[in-house]
Amino acid sequence: MSTSQNTYTAAHYGPRAQDYVTSKDHSTGEDLDQIEAELRGANLSRALDLGCGGGHVSYRAAPHVGSVVACDVTQDMLDIVIKEAARRGLNNITVEKAAAENLPFPDGAFDAVLSRFTTHHWPDMEAGLRQARRVLKQGGRAMFIDVFAPAERVLDTHLQTVELLRDVSHVRNYAMAEWLAALARSGFAVERLSTRKMRMEFPAWVARTRTPEPHVSAIRSLQQGAPAIVTDYFAIGPDGSFNLDATTFIAHAQ
Amino acid sequence: MPDTATDIDPRLLEILVCPLTKGPLSYDRTRHELLSAQAGLAYPVRDGIPIMLVDEARSLSDDEKAALAGKA
Repeated sequence: MSTSQNTYTAAHYGPRAQDYVTSKDHSTGEDLDQIEAELRGANLSRALDLGCGGGHVSYRAAPHVGSVVACDVTQDMLDIVIKEAARRGLNNITVEKAAAENLPFPDGAFDAVLSRFTTHHWPDMEAGLRQARRVLKQGGRAMFIDVFAPAERVLDTHLQTVELLRDVSHVRNYAMAEWLAALARSGFAVERLSTRKMRMEFPAWVARTRTPEPHVSAIRSLQQGAPAIVTDYFAIGPDGSFNLDATTFIAHAQ
Repeated sequence: MPDTATDIDPRLLEILVCPLTKGPLSYDRTRHELLSAQAGLAYPVRDGIPIMLVDEARSLSDDEKAALAGKA
């Protein structure tokens, strides 16, 4: 089941790979600055970019570490990362196709694991976190960045529903409590966490995933019929633009 | 001579193990495959990118398994 979900995600993202290299939501952000700040001067040898997508974490990390291994289940993303790394003159990035739940590295192979906007795609989030912990050295650095779901059920349900309508390979945005419990169970000690609001501009948000028109209409219909608690929380605008919650966990392997 | 354009990066080869067994892999340079004796699987390397998914791996034949065991 887990592998077929990964194949499904890969098939879904393949044709859109280039959009993720150029997407401003993905190529910029304070979370990328956080990654650089965490790695700069730390003198780390090997970092894993787990679920690399368009490779933005790898490009930021590469100047500060000995080498970066970028992995993803989507072949087209990997092809693009190779080209883009070469274009940027970053020759310490290598890529491979691998799933988070079955990482092909020995225990303790990495000094850092970096994962950004990818856990919500994993068929088994906690299996992926356990693998991330396994391939890290004791005390190794970990940064997990992703959208998280609000604690209130009505908000959570709205979020998961519009996410699935927008992107049929969406698995789940986890609530903060779920994240913290899963990280602890997987052997990570969270040192710091930060949260922020990200404004999703509706036309760009659905264009990036090439959401089919009936799904776009369904999202708009849900938004327009949503109760005030939902429209207020997500600050849903007249064109469907809204706020997502994102979080960064900075942790180490226990 | 390995084709450098499609050959696997040696830095990657150093740290790769079988995703299923976490056991060692041996690299077949001519076929561009990473062989896991323990799992009986061959993982393809396409355009220098190792495809480390069980779904996309090829099952080794009995002869290939025997040959790998002989080398070990």
